[in-house]
This record gives sequence, C-alpha cells and structure tokens, in this order.
Amino acid sequence: MNITTENIDGITVVRLAGDLDTNTSTGAQDTIEEIIDGGATNMLVNLKEVGFVSSAGLRILLAAAKKINRLDGKLRISDLNETVQEVFEISGFITILKVFPTEETALQDA
Amino acid sequence: MIDLGEIPLTESGSLAEARNKIRSLCATASGDEILATRLATVSSQVARGLHQTNRNARIEAALCDRRGGLDLVLNFVGELDDHSQGHLHRFFDQVQASRSSSGETLWRGRVALTAKALPGATVTRLKNIVAQKTRDQLLEEIQTKNTELEESLENLKRTRSAKDRMESELNIGRDIQMSMLPLSFPAFPEQEEFNVHAALYPAQEVGGDFYDMFMIDPDHFCFCVGDVSGKGVPAALFMAVTKTLIKSRAANDLSPASILSHVNTEQAEGNDSCMFVTIFLAILNLDTGDMVYSNAGHNPPFVQRSDGSLLRLDARHGPVIGAVEGIAYGEGQIQLAKGELTYLYTDGITEAMDIERALYSEDRLKHMLDNSSYSSAKHAVMETVDDVWAFQGDASQADDVTVLALRYLGRSAAEGESEIKLVIVNQFEEISRVSDTFNAFADRHGLTTAVKQRLNLCLDELFNNIISHGYKDDDEHQIDVHIRLLHGELAVTIADDGIPFNPFRNDPPDTLLSVEERPIGGLGVHLVRNFMDRVAYERHGEQNVVQLFKHLEENGNS
Repeated sequence: MNITTENIDGITVVRLAGDLDTNTSTGAQDTIEEIIDGGATNMLVNLKEVGFVSSAGLRILLAAAKKINRLDGKLRISDLNETVQEVFEISGFITILKVFPTEETALQDA
Repeated sequence: MIDLGEIPLTESGSLAEARNKIRSLCATASGDEILATRLATVSSQVARGLHQTNRNARIEAALCDRRGGLDLVLNFVGELDDHSQGHLHRFFDQVQASRSSSGETLWRGRVALTAKALPGATVTRLKNIVAQKTRDQLLEEIQTKNTELEESLENLKRTRSAKDRMESELNIGRDIQMSMLPLSFPAFPEQEEFNVHAALYPAQEVGGDFYDMFMIDPDHFCFCVGDVSGKGVPAALFMAVTKTLIKSRAANDLSPASILSHVNTEQAEGNDSCMFVTIFLAILNLDTGDMVYSNAGHNPPFVQRSDGSLLRLDARHGPVIGAVEGIAYGEGQIQLAKGELTYLYTDGITEAMDIERALYSEDRLKHMLDNSSYSSAKHAVMETVDDVWAFQGDASQADDVTVLALRYLGRSAAEGESEIKLVIVNQFEEISRVSDTFNAFADRHGLTTAVKQRLNLCLDELFNNIISHGYKDDDEHQIDVHIRLLHGELAVTIADDGIPFNPFRNDPPDTLLSVEERPIGGLGVHLVRNFMDRVAYERHGEQNVVQLFKHLEENGNS
C-alpha cells in the first residue's frame, strides 16, 4: 500500500493506492494515525487507487472517523470504485461516513 | 535492511539501463506495474540530474523494514539541482537528504511495498536485477581480457620454438574461452520454472564452443549454444564479442531473429579474417512455456515431448553468423509443456570418433534421447557426455564437446488449467500469495477486475477469520485452497483444521448504527454473503469446509 499526502486549502488529502485488506490495513492505520496525531483533523481520504476495501480496511476507516470525531475534526472519503462503493453500501458505511464521488466535490465540503 | 546493490550512472547509456532496472526491481518487489513504471520514470529524471553533474553518480537499492511493513529504498548519490529535487519530492512520500562518510550527498526515497516480507528467492531475484551487467561493463570486461591477452602475447613472443608458440597460443585461447562461460551449477536455483545444466569439454587443439544463459526479465530466459570456426586466440576473441553482443542486445529485444540479425551485422562488418559462428538461440517465456528460437547454421536441437516422442527442431533460419552482412534471420516457435526437455549440443558430440574413426553420429544421439528419460537437466547432460566418452574410448577428443539441457517446469498455475490448488499456512502474509495466484488465474481466464476484487475481498475476510480465531494453539496449520472455473461459475473451497466454526451461522450485523455506536469488526462474513451467490459450510471430519460460488455473467461481471 502506497500512501501520499497533500495539503489543499487546509484539508489534508490522504491518497491510498493498493488494496486495503488484512495485510495492508495495519500499516495504513499507523500512517493515518500519525497524520491525525500530527494535527491533521480535517482530512480527505481519496480511495481512487484502491481496488477493494475488506472489513479490515473498513475497521481502520471507522477508527480514523471515531478519532477525528473526538477531536472535533472532519473525515471525508472520496473516489470509491464500483466494488468499494458496494462494500460501503452493504456495510452501511455509506451512511455513517461522509462519502463524495470525487476529490473536487469533497474539497468543496468545507 | 537488505542491501540490493548499486546501479552506476556514469557511463553513456546507463540512464536507460537504470530505468529498466528500477522498473523491473519495483515490479518484482511490489507486483505493481503501474507503480514500477512511475518509479522508473521519476528515477530516470532524477538520475539525469545526477548523471550530468557527478563523476561518481549512482543509485543504491535496498529493502528496509518499516513498522508494519517493508519499503523499497532508493538512495540517489550525488548533488541534485532544485529541478531534480522537485521530481523526488513529487513522487516519494518522504525524501531524506544526508551526507555519507565520504562526503557524498545521498537522497533517500522510500516506496512502501504491500508485502511485509519478501521470500528469499525474490530477494535474490532483486539482487540479480541490480547486478545485471550493463553493456559498458561487459565491454570493459572484454577490454580487461584483452589486456591479459596482450600480456600473454608478450610472453608468447619470448618463447622460441614454433611448436611452443603454437601450443602456448592455443592454451591462451582456451583460457579465454573457458573464462567466458557463465556461472557455476546449479544455475538459477531461485527459478522454480525451469532447471538448466550445461557442460563444455574443450578439445586439446581445435575448438571454439560456447554457451550462455541469462534472465532477460522476470518472465524471459535466454539461452544459446554456439561454435566458432577456427581455434586459438582469434576464435576466442570472436566468441567473446559475439557473446557480449547477444547479451547487450537481448536486454531490450525479445526476438531471437532480431538479436541474431543484429549480431550478424555487427560481426560481418570488417570481418577480414572471415571467421564465423554457428548459434542456436532461444528465449523461453517462463509464464507460458512459449519458446521462440532462431538457428543460424547450428546443429538442430531436440525436444523430449511430454507424450514420450522426440522432436527435432529442423528449421534453419539463416546462414552462420559473421559470413554475410545484412541477413534477416527468421525464427520459429514451440509451446513447451511442463516437464519437457530441450536439448542443445555442438558437433563435438556427433563428430566424436572412436578408435576406428567411426562417428558418434546424430543417429546415435537421437536414439539415446529417444530411449531415455532423465530426472533433471543435469542428468541428461551427464548421461550424454558419459556415452560420448564411452564411445570414444582411447581415441583422442577431436573437437569441443558441449551440451545444454533445459527442463521447463512451468509456474504453479500454468495456462490452460481451469483450477488452482494451493496449500497455505496460518500466517497473514500467506493471503497475498493466494491473491497473487488467483489474480494470475483470473487474468488468464479473462475475469473482470470487479470479479477479481470481490473474490479477493472474500478470501481476505475468510482467511483473516481462520488465521485470527481458528486455532487454540500457536502451531503451524495448513489451509487448503481450491479455486475452479466450471460452466461459467467460480467455485472456491477452503478447508482448515481449526476449531469447529460455521462463519455463516451468525446473524448479520446491524449496519444502521452510527459511527459512535458501531462496534469495530463483525462485517467480514456479511460482505462475503453479499458478494457471493451462494455460500456453504460443512464440518468434514477434523476440517471446516467453506464453499463459495459466484456465477460469472457474459461480461464476467457481478
């Protein structure tokens, strides 16, 4: 899993690339937590380069959302492919996380 | 930290080679071709900056543990202008600049790999990619040999009698010839796809045989056998140049016809001494067993087919190399099945003579190959050589004797199979192995990306459950995985010897709870049920047996 970050208008955009599964989620969680701990509580996780998200991946997104909520921050998710979109729908994550079709639309959500 | 070696950037043409190496390094380490191409592009941009300003510019490659994972680390050594630094920062998550003990600046970029650890064979392959010699390095080696040769010639001049000089020159030629032969055996032990063996026994007087074998990239293996006309120093040098030309050309060319055409043009030009060389050269696709070959005036090789028959590769694709400029060589193609043995040799075998001056002959060789089955490539080589020595008896060896045998073993899931079976142990990293194998299988059968993603997701969920919760002890356990494609349906069977557990018995979780109320976990099996058409569980003796079925529609989609 490759993770890059960029700051756009005060929002930390975290771009993940690879599958978010059992083997990659621990590393991804560490990285995302480091980013949050570094003060970035206004965050967009872009999943454009992610093939699928398994429950292990959902788990870390949920953990990030909880952590950011506690810090009065905001977590947005964008660019779900068809498979990930379905995972979010089946799991109900589509209603509990703020999901946007594209990075642009997510960034407009101030 | 595992050091993979360094890629020099000092010679002309080294940028393109560095690019190729980094691409194949990253592709092999990460399995991600897109990432590999991007990394190669960035690295070559940075390398250009280094190359222009630094005398000792190079890229050092290493694997480095990171908390919870593994990084491919590239150190760009040398001064960098702002523009090149910009390239680094745009690509890498993290760039560290530091100064080495020798005062050089070192720019370190890290690429996170999905694997937490790489198998030893992969690490060896990565080192080989980095260590692959560049054209310039090969030329330099030849120059070194030339220098040695000149020294030997000086010695030669000092020897008095013509006979001494003759013998001395032949010895030098033989030394060069033998020093050009590659590696020790077993060669390429890390390649599970084939085993290969070669032997060359130089004759006392005449002889200019050679062979070579090398990986072009992770999927292509090149091997050849040749016989240079003439003897002594000139023949040995002609051979050395031929080998170098083949190897440097093959780095960017997967067509034996094109490689031989190129080598011929180079060698025929200004070939005043009218030397020539016969060559049989083949490139084997390790993934598919597809072997493309070109024969320039060499003895036709044999293939022991899996049905027990013996095939002679009769086609001739052009004249000997070095005789006539501008020839376009042809090439042939053969599909090797698993277990088939390709057998190359030189005329030192067929023209070996016994004490009555009778020839060993191709018929005898053919008869032997037709009536033998070999346990390995080495076995085939040794049996032949023993038979030739037995035939020759007390007669002297007239010409070099060379044999090269290659047995194709294929990859664990070869083309044409509509099922894969594998056994993994209860470790999380093993999930990646299943998904790699399944992805290759899916690609061969044209399954869509969506199907691949969904099945991988289900496998991830089920293996995660079994490995996390299935065992009461800390012992190693095996999990059997069987995936098959039958009548447009994908069927997966997973059997483990863990505690009895039916994953599909529990009720689906409440997916309507809010972020704060939602318990972490408990979703995996729910996803599996939804993504598959049918799921089943059975306790079978000491095993949990889970089955998944997914119907593939015409477009292969869900």
